[in-house]
Amino acid sequence: MELFHIIGQFFPPDLSAKYLAAALGPLMQTLSMAAAAMLMAIVAGLGAAVWVGARLPGARFVYRALSVIRSIPDLTLAILCVVIVGIGPAAGTLALAIFYTAALGKVCGDLFTTAAREPVDALQATGATRLAVAFFGLLPLRLKDILSYGSYEFESAVRASVIVGAVGGGGLGTELAGTINALDFHRTTTLILMLIVLVALIDLLARWIKHKPAMLVGILPLAGLALWVNRPSMLALSHSMSTFASMLPPHLPAAAVGNLPGLLVETLAIAVGGTLFAIIPALPLGLLASRNMTPAFVSLPARRILEAFRAVPEVVWGLVLVSLIGVGPKAGIVALALHGTGSLGRLYAESFENIDTAPVDAITATGAPPIARAAFAYVPLALPPIAVHTLFRLEWNVRAATVVGVIGAGGIGQALYNAQQLFFYRQMAAYVLVTWILVSVVDLSSTRFRRGLNLMEVYG
Amino acid sequence: MPERPLLEICDLVVRYGPHTVLNGASLKASRAERIALLGPSGSGKTTLLRSINGFVPAASGSVRVDDVEVTSLRGQHLRALRSRVGVVSQRHDLIEMLLAYQNVMAGALGRWSNWRALRFLLYPRASELEEARSALRRVDLEHKLRARTARLSGGEHQRIAIARALVQNPLLLLADEPIASLDPELSEQTLALLCGLAHESGVTLICTLHQPLLAERFFDRILELRNGRIEAERNGNGSRAGRESGLALARGQA
Repeated sequence: MELFHIIGQFFPPDLSAKYLAAALGPLMQTLSMAAAAMLMAIVAGLGAAVWVGARLPGARFVYRALSVIRSIPDLTLAILCVVIVGIGPAAGTLALAIFYTAALGKVCGDLFTTAAREPVDALQATGATRLAVAFFGLLPLRLKDILSYGSYEFESAVRASVIVGAVGGGGLGTELAGTINALDFHRTTTLILMLIVLVALIDLLARWIKHKPAMLVGILPLAGLALWVNRPSMLALSHSMSTFASMLPPHLPAAAVGNLPGLLVETLAIAVGGTLFAIIPALPLGLLASRNMTPAFVSLPARRILEAFRAVPEVVWGLVLVSLIGVGPKAGIVALALHGTGSLGRLYAESFENIDTAPVDAITATGAPPIARAAFAYVPLALPPIAVHTLFRLEWNVRAATVVGVIGAGGIGQALYNAQQLFFYRQMAAYVLVTWILVSVVDLSSTRFRRGLNLMEVYG
Repeated sequence: MPERPLLEICDLVVRYGPHTVLNGASLKASRAERIALLGPSGSGKTTLLRSINGFVPAASGSVRVDDVEVTSLRGQHLRALRSRVGVVSQRHDLIEMLLAYQNVMAGALGRWSNWRALRFLLYPRASELEEARSALRRVDLEHKLRARTARLSGGEHQRIAIARALVQNPLLLLADEPIASLDPELSEQTLALLCGLAHESGVTLICTLHQPLLAERFFDRILELRNGRIEAERNGNGSRAGRESGLALARGQA
C-alpha cells in the first residue's frame, strides 16, 4: 500500500501551461546540447575515422585513443568537465562531444577499415593519395552505414544530455534533479513525459533523415547555432589547467583502498541484479510485443510500454528511485532493471519476429495451445539471439552501474561523486581511473566470451 | 452400407490473391489407405495437404476429416483436429535447440494443457519419457532419446519428425515430399518406414512425391494433380508388395 502511496505522489503530472512554458527552456537546452555535441562529434569523429581508414601516420595510435576515451562512462566524463569548465550547459556539451567523438570515430573507423576492398584498390591504382582515396572511396562506400549509425547516436545523445545535466551539466537533467530535490514530484513526472515525447520525436526525425539524407544540410546551421549558444561562458584557460593539474597524480588514501574491493563488488552486483530483473519482465513483454505472435491490439500497446521504459535513461530512473527508496544499491538495481526491460524487451521482440516460421508451423500443426507453442517453438528458436542481446546488456549495465552510482545508487560511482563534492580531486581522478579499468576489463572479457559463444553456436 | 471415407475433399478452390492454386480438387481416402500424390512443382500439392489441417483458407468447396468440416473450424476445435493429423515435411521442421525426446513429445501438445507442456520441458515424468522412447523405438532411434537435435544427421531428423507424428496417435498422416532431399537408398527406406508404420497402426497416409516408380512400389493408390485438380488416378502395388515386407525393409537397412 505504501508503494502505491509513493507512486501516487508522482501523479497527476503538472501540466499547467505555466510550468510547461517554464520547462520548455531546459528542454530546448537539452536538445541544443545534444545537437551541438553531435556537430562537434561528427566533424572531429569523422576526421579521426578518415585518419584511421586512410591509414595515415599514427592511425593506430588514434584508434587506441578513441577506444580508451569511449570506455569512460559519459557521466564520469561529465563530472570531469564540470570540474574543469564549471557548472552549466557548456560542461555537459563538452562531455558529450568528447564521448561521441570517440564513439563515432571508433565505429566509423571500423566501418572504413572493413569497407569493400576492390573499389578502394581501383582508386589507389589511379595513383590517388591516401586521403583522396578516403574521400572518394571510403566515405561514399560507407555513407549509408554512417547515416544510420549517426542517427542512432543522436537519439542516444539526447538521452545522454539529460544524464549529464543531472550532475550540473544544464538542461532537462538539472531541472529534473531540481524537482526531485524539492520533492516536487508532479513536475518530475511532467519532465519525464517530456523526455519520452522528445525521444520519440527524435526517433521520427532520424527515420526521416535516413530516408532523405539531404535533410542534414537543413539541420547543420541549427546545430551550429546550438554550438554557439552552449559555448563556455567564461573559459579561463589557466584556471581550467590548474584544476586539471590538481587532479594529478591520482591518489587514494589507505582507508579508501581498503574499501575499493567492496565498492567494485557492489557495482558488479548492481549490474548483474539490474540485468536479471530486466530479463524477467522483458521475456513476456517481448513475446507480447512481437507482431508474429500476438494480434495488433496486444503487440502495439506492448511496444509503446517498452518504448516508454526505454526512453527514460537509467540515471533518470535512478534519480527518481533514490528519492523514493533512499541512497544505496537497491535504487541502482531497480533503475537498471526498468530501463533494461525496455531495451531488452524490444530486442527480444525482434528476435522472436526474426525466427524461421516453418518449425513454428510444424508445432502449430500438432494442435498445440498458445503457451505450449511459445515454450516449444518461439523461445527455443529465438534463444541464440536472445543470449547475445542479454550478454550485451550485462556489459552495458556494468558501465551504467558506475553511472547510476554517481546519483546516489551506491558502488564506485557514488565514491567518485563524493570525492568530487568534497573537492578531493586526486582521489576523484583515482576513482575515474579505476572505473575506466573496470569497464575496459568487462568489455574485453565480454568480447572474448561472445566470440567463444559464436563458436559454440556453430557446433550446436 | 459402405463405410464413410476418413477424408473427403470436394471441389476445393484455394486462391492466393489473384492466383488460383487449387481449382476444384476432389479426393476421397478410406481408413488405412496409402495414397501418393504426384504432380509437377507448383501444381498445388503442398497447398492441398495444408488445406487438410486448416492452414489454408478455402475460397469454396469442402474438406471433411472423420466427418468434421475443416474449412470452418476455429480455435480450440481446429487444434483438436490438428492434434489427430500428423505432418512430416521435407525440411523436417524440428526445433534444433531442444533435445530429441522434447521434439518427439511436441506431438502430444495437442492433448496437453499449457501448464503440462511447460512442466514437461523442465521436468519430464518417467511415463512421458517412456512414451517418447517407444515412439523413437518404432523409427529405430531409441538410443538418441537425449541427444541434442542440432547434432543429429538429416536422416535422423526425418525419423524424429516421423516419431513426433506417431506420438500424435493420428488418424491421418500427411507427408510433404519427405524424400525430396534424400539419396535413393535413404528415400526407399523412408517410404518403406512411412508405409509400414501407416499399415501397422491403421493410419491413412497421404504423401506427395516426384518419383512415379517409387509411388507405384509403395502406395495403394496414385493420384496426379494438374492445374489445381486431380486429373488422373491409378492403383499401385503397395498392397501386393506386402505391407509387412515394407517395414522389414526399413528395419533391415536402418
